[in-house]
Amino acid sequence: MNPLSEEILTVENLKKFFVTKQGTVRAVDNISFSIKEGETCGLVGESGSGKTTVAHTIVGIYEPTEGRVSFKGQSISKVFSQRPKNLKKDIRIVFQDPGSSLNPRRSIKQILEVPITVHRTYSNKDRLGRVMELLTMVELPPEEYLYKSPQAIGGGEKQMVAIARALATNPSFVVLDEPTSALDVSVQAKIINLLMHLQKNLNLTYLFITHDLSLMRNIASRVAIMYLGKICEVASTVDFFQNPFHPYTKMLLSSIPTVSDDEEDLKPQEVISRGEIPSPVNVPPGCSFHLRCPEKMEICSQVDPTMVNIREGHVVRCHLWQGTGNV
Amino acid sequence: MIPLLEIRDLHVRFKIFEGELKVLNGVDMVIGEGEKVGLVGETGCGKTTTMKSVLHVLPIPPAKISGGEILYRGKDILKMKPGEIRRLRKGEMSAIFQDPLAALNPVFTVGHQLRDVIKYSLITQGRENLSKEEISAQSITVLKETGMPDSERILSNYPIQLSGGMRQRVCISEALSAAAKLLMADEPTTNLDVTIQAQILRQLNELVEKRRISILLISHSLGVVRKVTERVYIMYAGNVVETARTKDLFADPLHPYTKALLKSVPKLTGEGISQGIRGRIPNYLNPPSGCRFHPRCDHAMPMCEGERPAAFIVGDNHTVACFLYKR
Amino acid sequence: MSRIELLAAALSRKRASFSKGWYKYSRNPLSILGLTILCLIILAAVFAPYITPYPEHAGAFTNFRESSQPPNPTYFFGTDTVGRDVFTRVIFGYRFSLVLAVVVLSLSIPPGVIMGLIAGYFQGTRIEIAIMRITDIFLAVPPLVLALAITVMLSPNLFNQMMAISLMWWPWYSRLVYSITTSLRHEYFVREAELTGASKLHILLREILPNCAAPILTKMSLDAGFVITVGASLSFLGLGVQPPKPGLGTMVADGAKRLPAEWWMAVFPAIAIVMVILAFNLVGDGLRDMFAVEEV
Repeated sequence: MNPLSEEILTVENLKKFFVTKQGTVRAVDNISFSIKEGETCGLVGESGSGKTTVAHTIVGIYEPTEGRVSFKGQSISKVFSQRPKNLKKDIRIVFQDPGSSLNPRRSIKQILEVPITVHRTYSNKDRLGRVMELLTMVELPPEEYLYKSPQAIGGGEKQMVAIARALATNPSFVVLDEPTSALDVSVQAKIINLLMHLQKNLNLTYLFITHDLSLMRNIASRVAIMYLGKICEVASTVDFFQNPFHPYTKMLLSSIPTVSDDEEDLKPQEVISRGEIPSPVNVPPGCSFHLRCPEKMEICSQVDPTMVNIREGHVVRCHLWQGTGNV
Repeated sequence: MIPLLEIRDLHVRFKIFEGELKVLNGVDMVIGEGEKVGLVGETGCGKTTTMKSVLHVLPIPPAKISGGEILYRGKDILKMKPGEIRRLRKGEMSAIFQDPLAALNPVFTVGHQLRDVIKYSLITQGRENLSKEEISAQSITVLKETGMPDSERILSNYPIQLSGGMRQRVCISEALSAAAKLLMADEPTTNLDVTIQAQILRQLNELVEKRRISILLISHSLGVVRKVTERVYIMYAGNVVETARTKDLFADPLHPYTKALLKSVPKLTGEGISQGIRGRIPNYLNPPSGCRFHPRCDHAMPMCEGERPAAFIVGDNHTVACFLYKR
Repeated sequence: MSRIELLAAALSRKRASFSKGWYKYSRNPLSILGLTILCLIILAAVFAPYITPYPEHAGAFTNFRESSQPPNPTYFFGTDTVGRDVFTRVIFGYRFSLVLAVVVLSLSIPPGVIMGLIAGYFQGTRIEIAIMRITDIFLAVPPLVLALAITVMLSPNLFNQMMAISLMWWPWYSRLVYSITTSLRHEYFVREAELTGASKLHILLREILPNCAAPILTKMSLDAGFVITVGASLSFLGLGVQPPKPGLGTMVADGAKRLPAEWWMAVFPAIAIVMVILAFNLVGDGLRDMFAVEEV
């Protein structure tokens, strides 16, 4: 990744609220971050963190309640039906659940043809060729898979088809919403390798959404942690894992089940996980994490901390470091 | 001393349209009293089938137990009469599953369901009917033991009102109220957030040790199994390929599949992602002859195709089903 | 890969899924029984003039010397009051019933499905409200009453009967498709098509409709029997097939006057009605099994 790359996606003060019978769900509550061209930015969080809502808003499933999303300099804070066609080609998404992201009643050939036909990127004659090319790109032999139905293939293969579908329009930015969470670890390895490989060859930028920090350690150049709609900490991957600051980050890291003692040694001093994750309808006042935080101070239950630049390229939102850096 | 549970050479087949799926191909397993044992394998390896066979809840057509024995305290479950099996299930064995929402009845309160379990298990254990108050008190106690905050209030809630972690705690209390000796947990934390998973695993560990229950923890996550178990079995395509004490397995994995699996797990040490395992899980209609892993194995030898390797002993409590270690 | 190889791959896949579907269908012997009966009935109806002993009896024909004969080797189901062979008339009567079923379903399913798709997809808009309220209104009236009213307003004959029944049949399909559409609306694969920029037409017809096919086909089969019942009821009341045409319901009505002495005039047409409904129901059950997703 070129260190001088431009920022391809910028999110500024993004808020997305949903009004429901139980109350207002503050799914995304004032977050800002940006992604450079060609990098893999990891967005990590547990349920209720709002990470999927961020992904869906960037892609246009939702319109921001407040705030701005810009892509290649242009504002894209609109719902997909109002977006220009070019944008739909350029920003693509791979969804979380392979079972429901492919229409069970269509063949893989028909599924892959949709984006090609819609964007008329190839003439009718060449369409089939392009479909076969896509299947080959994700290492699924066309002869075997063209006419199969999604019900006849496994979760890993389904995700590969979903990836092929996302790449069918030659996009520059792909949102990956927990693409491997439902898959076995050996299948995940294959898919991640494929994704990294494709990123290099096709010069793609990824926004990778997951709850798996170990995965991010190995593929992301930057990581952002979300909790209940807000970002807690953002840093470059190396810095993030060597010097985590936010108590929630430390709690997350401590909770990861590891497979070797070397890994255990790398974990921060253990923060025992306790408490339940509150529902985004009932966000606790002050800092939303204070009910579970082992280092809670009095101010934490009253005032929401602001984001502070604690090191080069590393920001944290926590009262423990409120006065130490610049905003 | 007879082990609590012993599975000997279990073969299970499923009849489908195209023929017969030869799922379990000779599974051997031993669980002693008070032991914490893990069963690790990827999707489709037969671990859930194994568990269902022990609980005797396989759908008998199309499934068929075509060979082997399952000995509980020395008596073959497969030859037991329905009444005996029911008694086993009520008083000796119980299970918790991956999706607690599906395991709980949505139209009854959690307290009602828990009290039912207590009531029916006590009756079979020959104790006189406890009064309603006593059953109620018991339900609060057992729920508190799982670390549930505010147990009394929770008992009057419906499953849908609780978070995933809470629901799983309810399921664990139900299982503990029923089981005297053997608890089988099938992916109990897969659907839960990482920080909640850490809590539940910790509590499960404590409870199991305190009550001296044996636990069979089934998971596709090596990290989870490493946290909870003393001994672990690795399964691939209907066979146990390696078993050892947990410490030994992670320190010195021997079977090529185990090694490849461990390599595929993304690590906090940041080594990058391995290539995964080439090939796919076998088709059970026509599984590979001999060692079922040989088509995907980098160390395959001609004899691997010929016959199925036995479990060769390579150390204290450490066996590997691989010809590389043939004595 | 050449076109021919691709075609071969596609065909072999189609063949594989057909044989698997047949396997699932044929697991239940009753489904086979239903299919057999149905095939026999259809063949008999189609080739009626060639296989019945007295094709000319299916219409205005009188032979008073042979009238009111009980079942015997010459007249398998006996003869009616004017000397016509009941067996022949029953077979010809199947023609009306089957035509009724085919026409009613062909007329009512397409509009019902289209309205269900549109209402389900445009949930929350006035279109949805309008369509579903109209559907509800039609569903609120008991089918027989509605059909009666319509037929009475127009003159009673097979054609009008078909129109009347079709008019009150479509709402069931629009309801069915509406509920499937609303449940699929937010699935990821539909979202994906929307995000890609596919037209609404594509989404309705190529993404959502294929998922409705199985329930529609199953319901169609079960409905065929129901339609025939309604038709027979209308004919029984004198509002359908008019004498001297051999409608099954009409025959039951005429024969009912002769019960219990000359039972064969009412009983055989009644049994015939039951047989065709039974056949359609069993086939419908079999179709439902065929489409059921197997879990191993």
